Amino acid sequence: MKRIWVAAAILVLLFTGTMIHSFYISSVTEQITTILHEAEIKAENGEWESAMRLTETAQEKWSVRDAYLHIMLRHNETDNVYTGFREVAEFIQCQEGGEYSAANARLIAELELLAEAEQLTLKNIL
Amino acid sequence: MVIAFVRTIILYLLIIAGIRLMGKRQVGELEPSELVLALIIADLAAVPMQDFGIPLLTGVIPIMTLLCITMIISVLSMKSVKFRAIICGRPSIIIANGKLQQREMIKNRFTVDELMEELRMKGITDISTVKYAILETNGQISLLPFSNQNPPTAKDLNVSTEETGLPVVIINDGRVLEHNLHTRGYDENWLEKQLKAHGVKHPQDVYLLTSDELGRTYFAPKEEEK
Repeated sequence: MKRIWVAAAILVLLFTGTMIHSFYISSVTEQITTILHEAEIKAENGEWESAMRLTETAQEKWSVRDAYLHIMLRHNETDNVYTGFREVAEFIQCQEGGEYSAANARLIAELELLAEAEQLTLKNIL
Repeated sequence: MVIAFVRTIILYLLIIAGIRLMGKRQVGELEPSELVLALIIADLAAVPMQDFGIPLLTGVIPIMTLLCITMIISVLSMKSVKFRAIICGRPSIIIANGKLQQREMIKNRFTVDELMEELRMKGITDISTVKYAILETNGQISLLPFSNQNPPTAKDLNVSTEETGLPVVIINDGRVLEHNLHTRGYDENWLEKQLKAHGVKHPQDVYLLTSDELGRTYFAPKEEEK
């Protein structure tokens, strides 16, 4: 009977771990997208330096969790986010308003979809 | 990741249900839950092995989930007869007292051709000589002939026989198995005598030498390579 409890405990542990992971990813991406939205408002007001600083802060928040994200997520998803940050940074440097908005929106969407794909919803299961 | 966890449970239970619905004859020698485990684990392990863009955990979490479920199912099957019947099914009697149980055969999708094949494989040509034929949960058929159809045993004939015991291998393809030699209570001198008696100089020239508990040996020299 001991074996059944060990197996059940591992199952509970796995479930809890995966749930914590989905909450964590959701929280991290929410923080980053909020900063990216703020950066966009700054850029729309012509404050390109502030927009750059905020984008760098957002990228830093992503980079410090690099190992964890690489272990837990599909590598092409993390690579796409990195590419997105680089693209957005380049458009800020060039002060290309329209291009920046499109690239920033794409990056935000990628982050939101990434978090959404990890949520325990019927849509994802099916 | 939680999606992988939940999906694994759903797929596992779904495949078990599918295998159970397919009937026993599809299962072969494995129990349904074991078959499902074998089918899925091989694939789950292969994907992260081949695709480096997928995290290892994508394979590890489903495999651990499956192993835990299988452990729980196997313990519950041991503890509860009802649960075992749900997961593994019950044996079905398809011949009783020499008569075909057609309803049971239809229920298990077991055709007459398959039954005849199984009977022939077990050396039975006349169904009326079979007391019971049971389709086991692992898909095998157990045949129990009428007692008057059973071959007589030495006990039935009041014949005394010798117990030869378990034969052990002393030389396996030219290699002397020292442990077996000493377990049987022999030494190198006995081995040398055996080789001499069979006209062989070295153990390397022997393909197989066994000895049973009565001291009887079986000797097979190595055939010369062409």
